[in-house]
Amino acid sequence: MPDLETFGLTRHFGGLVAVNNVSFTLDCGEILGVIGPNGAGKTTFINLVSGIYAPSSGRIHFKGRDITGLPAHKRAQMGISRTFQIIHPLENLDVLENVMLGFIFSRRMGLKEARRSAEALCGSLGLGDLSRDVSQITMLETKKMEIAHALASGPSILFLDEVMAGLNVDETREIVQLVQRVTRERNIGVGVVEHVMSVIRDLTHRVIVLEAGEIIAAGPYEEVAKNPGVIAAYLGGAA
Amino acid sequence: MTFAVRRFLPVAVIAVAVLFPLVSGPYPLAVAQSILIYMALAVSWDMLLRSGQISFGIAGFFGIGAYAAAITTLTVRASPIISILLAGACSAGVAFLLGFVILRLRKVYFAITTLALAEIFRVIVHNWGDFTGGPEGLVLPSLIFKGDSRALFWISLGGVLLACGLSALFQRSRLRFALTAIRNNEVSARSSGIDIFKYLMIVFVTSSFIQGIVGGIQVQLYGYASPDSVFDANYTLLPLAMALLGGIYSTPGPVLGAVLLGVAAEYLKLKIPYGHLVVYGIIIVLVILLLPDGLYGQYRRSVRDRARMARGGTAHA
Repeated sequence: MPDLETFGLTRHFGGLVAVNNVSFTLDCGEILGVIGPNGAGKTTFINLVSGIYAPSSGRIHFKGRDITGLPAHKRAQMGISRTFQIIHPLENLDVLENVMLGFIFSRRMGLKEARRSAEALCGSLGLGDLSRDVSQITMLETKKMEIAHALASGPSILFLDEVMAGLNVDETREIVQLVQRVTRERNIGVGVVEHVMSVIRDLTHRVIVLEAGEIIAAGPYEEVAKNPGVIAAYLGGAA
Repeated sequence: MTFAVRRFLPVAVIAVAVLFPLVSGPYPLAVAQSILIYMALAVSWDMLLRSGQISFGIAGFFGIGAYAAAITTLTVRASPIISILLAGACSAGVAFLLGFVILRLRKVYFAITTLALAEIFRVIVHNWGDFTGGPEGLVLPSLIFKGDSRALFWISLGGVLLACGLSALFQRSRLRFALTAIRNNEVSARSSGIDIFKYLMIVFVTSSFIQGIVGGIQVQLYGYASPDSVFDANYTLLPLAMALLGGIYSTPGPVLGAVLLGVAAEYLKLKIPYGHLVVYGIIIVLVILLLPDGLYGQYRRSVRDRARMARGGTAHA
């Protein structure tokens, strides 16, 4: 049984079908790429799985349990975590305090224990000088903080929503290696939404391609990249 | 500010406040006592504001507390202290029940609804006949502590210490993290495992509890409650202005703002009768334009920037 599985997941916004009949699986230890043109429904799909939106129809199973009706905070506590495409670090909290949130609320730690755990986690990700304001840190550090923030909940499934956006080539390589390392060390299943194809190629074991809310292709990156339907979806024109 | 000063300063301020009636004349004491009432309300308002929710309903829960204290004193002959506690419980209970509905609302919708609720409470009290005394209100047979002005000051100070104590406790606990996260971004907060409704309810009920307690104190001080006196819009607007002036999202900020604005209001009332409200309004406008963080917020910012400069970083505006 897969660790995370969806069955015919669908979400309408008025007349628009943002996610249409998506069935997929994700296992611990696996890195899955989720690609597709802008507006294909990738972020909506993550919002459905993490519980930010309720699906119009379809089911979500996590470790054999139906979690379709559970609110987002419960899913975070159970071990489904995510980062955000548009990052919003919490002002009025410093870097360390941002990372503490998951430890406090998902893993129910006291403040002292959460502080120690967050320090250790930041250290392992190479994030230092933790008493800084979130407005004071670099883009690379912001991305690391976002990942630390998501890992703090102790996830077994983690979605990274365009976490490489805004990074240069060297920084992207560093985050790719970091994601590979935490996937291995923590044995978590990672869903990566990304537009940079070299990242998808280097990072993922398997890819699903969304277009207009539907899965149009699935398989290893090399296979999917040659798929004429996928090329048409990205470049436009008749397939 | 060093650690020792940070520990020592609140103790010193409380000590001065407790001893104030022993050295003060009757007039400053009466002014200080009325400032304390607003101060406690300002702190309670700020506690809810930390979640991003702006309440215009302070007078509503204050008024419920006032009437609860008056009614329990008159009907079941509750002692003044008991009636004040019942006032807090009553406001907290009403807030809890209303919370299931209004804590689904956000921002301006929440603000308008709390304003409307306060007015609804007033209308209900106004029309409930003998139970609330209707438009004439209720008169208590005697004042708390026989109206001794020092005792009145101390009991008002008790209300402030309760508000500040709860506020400081919240700031040291996981509630600070929860409320700050909710204020910043609710989607992100939920993804961190934060049960938004639960934490909004905790802070809404707690701030309403304080407002009820303060309303109960007010009634026991003056021995009188009428719809127009205890649901007065000033009980909403002055605490709000005090917190904004002093500095929001903190305990010292609203306290500082209450002292400054309270003293300024009294002084202006003497200097330019009837004109004082205009000056008062101008002060508030200037503060919001020039010091959006309030005085204490500005102070904290400069301390932080100085620390950063000392570490070799750069200050930010």
